[in-house]
Amino acid sequence: MAPANLTAFVDEDPPVSLWRDAWHRLFRNKLAVAGLVIVIFLALVAMFGPWLTPYDFLTQNLEVRNQAPSLAHLFGTDDLGRDVLSRVIYGTRTAFVVAIVVTTVAVAIGVALGAIAGYYGGLLDRTIMWFTDMTMSVPNLLLVVVINASLKTPVTAWMEAQYQATLNPFYRQTVWVDFLLVFGSMALISWPPYARLVRAQVLSIRGRPYVTAARALGLTNRLIIMRYIVPNAVGPLIVSVSAGLGTAMVLESAFSFLGVGVNPPTPSWGNMISDGLRVWQHYPHLLAAPAAVLGLATVAFSFLGDGLNDALNPRGSK
Amino acid sequence: MGAQPLLKVENLVKHFVVKLGAFGEKGATVYAVDDVSFDIMTGETLSLVGESGCGKSTTGFTLLNLQRATAGKVIFEGENIVALDEKRMRPYRRALQIVFQDPYSTLNPRMTVGEVVGEPILFHKLATKAELPERIARLLADVGLPSRFAQRYPHELSGGQRQRVAIARALACQPKFIVCDEAISALDVSVQAQIINLLLDLQQKYGLTYLFIAHDLAVVRHISDRVGVMYLGRLAELATREQLFSNPLHPYTKALLSAVPEADPELEQTRRRQILTGDVPSPLAPPAGCRFHTRCPIAMDQCRSVVPEWREVVPGHHVACHAVAESVPG
Repeated sequence: MAPANLTAFVDEDPPVSLWRDAWHRLFRNKLAVAGLVIVIFLALVAMFGPWLTPYDFLTQNLEVRNQAPSLAHLFGTDDLGRDVLSRVIYGTRTAFVVAIVVTTVAVAIGVALGAIAGYYGGLLDRTIMWFTDMTMSVPNLLLVVVINASLKTPVTAWMEAQYQATLNPFYRQTVWVDFLLVFGSMALISWPPYARLVRAQVLSIRGRPYVTAARALGLTNRLIIMRYIVPNAVGPLIVSVSAGLGTAMVLESAFSFLGVGVNPPTPSWGNMISDGLRVWQHYPHLLAAPAAVLGLATVAFSFLGDGLNDALNPRGSK
Repeated sequence: MGAQPLLKVENLVKHFVVKLGAFGEKGATVYAVDDVSFDIMTGETLSLVGESGCGKSTTGFTLLNLQRATAGKVIFEGENIVALDEKRMRPYRRALQIVFQDPYSTLNPRMTVGEVVGEPILFHKLATKAELPERIARLLADVGLPSRFAQRYPHELSGGQRQRVAIARALACQPKFIVCDEAISALDVSVQAQIINLLLDLQQKYGLTYLFIAHDLAVVRHISDRVGVMYLGRLAELATREQLFSNPLHPYTKALLSAVPEADPELEQTRRRQILTGDVPSPLAPPAGCRFHTRCPIAMDQCRSVVPEWREVVPGHHVACHAVAESVPG
């Protein structure tokens, strides 16, 4: 009984999936594209850092201390005569490594717990959400300070003891203790928002008619999760991860600024800002360079996150 | 009809337990479906009507075992399907399908129409991968859509087109029985007519049986073989279309039918509306006795305490009301 008029008004454009549609919307958003370009640029800088730095980031040259920016040192030099540009580039590496590892760990924990809580419900849900709320209620900074203050000395001492026993130079690399503690404590405080988001997504999608229809078709739970729930839940998660990467960078800088994150001489934007702040009236470039890059990265991630939000949830915007 | 029952619903009960209070310390029970029994005959269209919240959709969901029944049986092919777990239910799922009300959330937005329609075919191994495109094209033709729609995504389609895809998805399983849960209520009136005619054509072509859940009495009158009237989780009356519309016995049915406007303006002039006072009581605390007694114009003492028996007063005409005499001349 196919009515002829039903076919008449259908245009002949190629069909667009929601994902491709979202890409188009993202590329029409100038701010989001700018954010994406900056993020990609910073990521490339982080990746190819060792080949981009004009000087070694640790080499001190006391003859050129505290120099203003010049052609030889584009961002100037610090109080030990180290090239600030090279240190900012290495700080970018620190920021990206911390952000990516922390966000990956936090998303893995959050998605697993959130999906279990949302899908199975009941006592499991209540236990997981109680644990999530409890974690959220602990002040971030306090937790990180406590972990770093209480664990750093024993872990360092243990590593020194291992070195004495085995003479394996691996145990002398205390940089990894910093990173381990920073990653660990940050991941420990960053996962609850992801768990909540994923749980809410799963709860809302689980009740939609298309999931009930899939159950009525007799599909297995595994198929329903893989084809119905996951593809519809990842949109908000992508937005949240993009914003979360920026947040993790700020958090790492904040901890390093306060001296509980990455410790000198490993460069981090945070500890560079901390060093620069003491002398900013005399040598403003020491503060300006890392602060500007941190600001740029934060703004870029936030524009990208906004753009992704508009692109992936078009009904929510305007 | 004189046909064999395809599904026998026996004393079906569905209660929901809800948690109230800040800590969920107070439990309350929603009596969504309470002791409902009826048969669905092979090849017929049985409609369930009633106000929102009367449990007609819950009945549909529960008898497909999409919600676990609190008590009661649904017998299909000799098996009580509401007692089966998901794994043992799977072979029966293919035969029992559902079409939902909201065309905008009934299709997975990440799947093309072809994937939506093809998925059950592959899952139940009703065709090989090589035969699939031809099968999909045939199903789309069945519901009046051109085969190139298989490449499209749900958001590119209109509400009526999506509902056609949802029907094609149900048909892909080669079902015997389809629950149409307010399947046309969300559509424009002109599109409603198209979808109704489509459903009737498909019923003829494939010998389908429908449970049609609706609140539009004009539509129900057009398509049904038999009609059941529900009120607050219970069946009030069940009869053939002719019996119900010409000789309603339950006071609730009478009130419901008197609310349907007549197309003929002269008849409309003389139409006597029976207006019920008050609201539907909460299904959290349904009235004792007959559930309708709080609003019934002819309620008696007995109605307030004794649940009226579900009985067949005329062959094929069931009613639950104390005021209806033992046997009513047809």
